[in-house]
Amino acid sequence: MTRNLLADRPTYVVGIGLHRYQRRSDVSYVELGLTAVGEALTDAGVSWPEVEVAYTGTAQLGMGSSRVMLSRLGATGIPMSQVENASASGSSAVALACLDVASGRSDVALALGVDKPAPLSPAPGRAGIDNLEAGTVVPFTHFALLASEYMNGHGLQDIDIARVAWKNHRNGAANPYAQRQKERSLDEILADPISGSLTRLQCCPVGEGAAAVIVVSEDGIERLGLDRSRAVRVRSSVTRTEGVYDPGVGIDAALTAETGALAFDQAGVAPTDLDVLEVHDAFSIEELLYTEALGLCGEGEAASLIASGHFDIGGTCAVSPSGGLLSMGHPIGPTGTGQVCEVTRQLRGEAGVRQQPDARLGVAHMVGVGAVCVMHVLESPN
Amino acid sequence: MSEVRQPHLLDAGPPPRLRGHSCPTCGRTFFPPDPFACEKCGTPAGQLTGVTLTAAGRITAAATVHRHHHPSPETPFTVATIELDEGPVLKSVVIGASDADVGARVRGVLVPSAVDEATVDLRFELEQR
Repeated sequence: MTRNLLADRPTYVVGIGLHRYQRRSDVSYVELGLTAVGEALTDAGVSWPEVEVAYTGTAQLGMGSSRVMLSRLGATGIPMSQVENASASGSSAVALACLDVASGRSDVALALGVDKPAPLSPAPGRAGIDNLEAGTVVPFTHFALLASEYMNGHGLQDIDIARVAWKNHRNGAANPYAQRQKERSLDEILADPISGSLTRLQCCPVGEGAAAVIVVSEDGIERLGLDRSRAVRVRSSVTRTEGVYDPGVGIDAALTAETGALAFDQAGVAPTDLDVLEVHDAFSIEELLYTEALGLCGEGEAASLIASGHFDIGGTCAVSPSGGLLSMGHPIGPTGTGQVCEVTRQLRGEAGVRQQPDARLGVAHMVGVGAVCVMHVLESPN
Repeated sequence: MSEVRQPHLLDAGPPPRLRGHSCPTCGRTFFPPDPFACEKCGTPAGQLTGVTLTAAGRITAAATVHRHHHPSPETPFTVATIELDEGPVLKSVVIGASDADVGARVRGVLVPSAVDEATVDLRFELEQR
């Protein structure tokens, strides 16, 4: 009989920290990572020697990045591992940190996401399973095709998809950690076509950065005398991989729907209870597909709800209040960890001008090549 | 007629046809064929049945690509999701199509390969109306 360890042994996020997401620079990943970890430790009121285990989400640094980086805080000899799960690497680092604490192996865990741009070489393309696409269907075209299907299926126009990026750039403009910190007009969003209806500003920027999260148990809070009023409970942590679906079924939405159903069930909440959602909006169409797949609204309803302000900060559920991947950016390894930072900030009521009023329940949702989907449901301390 | 570049995926015909797999365990028919196993149920490739599929179907989604990281194909070109008449769904470049051609019927056509000029690749084109 399997158990949800997070239900048995409560697990909390008590510290968050980031290095701003930015275009590729000469800054070493060591400095990126240490900036985020330092901020998270200070935020938590935890000192480095009190951390018992570290997971580093990275897809592009190459092997062995954790110790050379984290030993610059002091070589404490704790277990460290790199975690690679494509775009969800940072989410999986959080998942493993939570599992480590919930299992009772440790009371204080670090999940870090850090990356710098490098030539991508996804393993599925080298699996020896040939197809006819031969480099003509890159990710933005895969999602442009989903946008075409969505618009034709629901009688929508380019502008209905573009409003996702309009909203998320507005949110990101107020986020000091975002790569793109500029509010954009709908005309700007609709300019510069890339593929199908997708334009440059409807595709996420891939740069560099870092994000860190400190995860602790009840015992950890007690022993270290941490501030319980800022401790955000992780209600559930769920990872799923893609199944084989009938021809014509939207694989991306189906995987998210399956993962969401489990994550909400284990957390004992309903999707309509959410106040905050950080969603994998690498391309604008994805936010529409996933808010529907997660059950925040019915199929085909997301575009009109975005237009009405339902998913704005101050609306029923703030979706991508950080700016999302579209505006905050998608440096790969940090992205999923950074989502947990944003949801935690919102649930503590510390998000400033980006604050969703009375935010009590939040979700971080990432998808990665493979495909994998990783979700965390978090609850406010109040 | 030149040789097809990917003979494990294509039968030159005429008309050109796709080589797929059918799984005797779960009943699934799929394209492309899998050199390892059926990914739905794990039946090894050696037990899968080879099938040929008509390279004809209907566009269910289309996207014209304006930016591409490789010199070939030259932009703009249009990629479509195609539901084959026998069921499987694939993505391919469709010659002469646009974003507005959702619902249109297409059929396979062999064109000189951009990867190896001595060979041909399968593309799709709009059926004559």
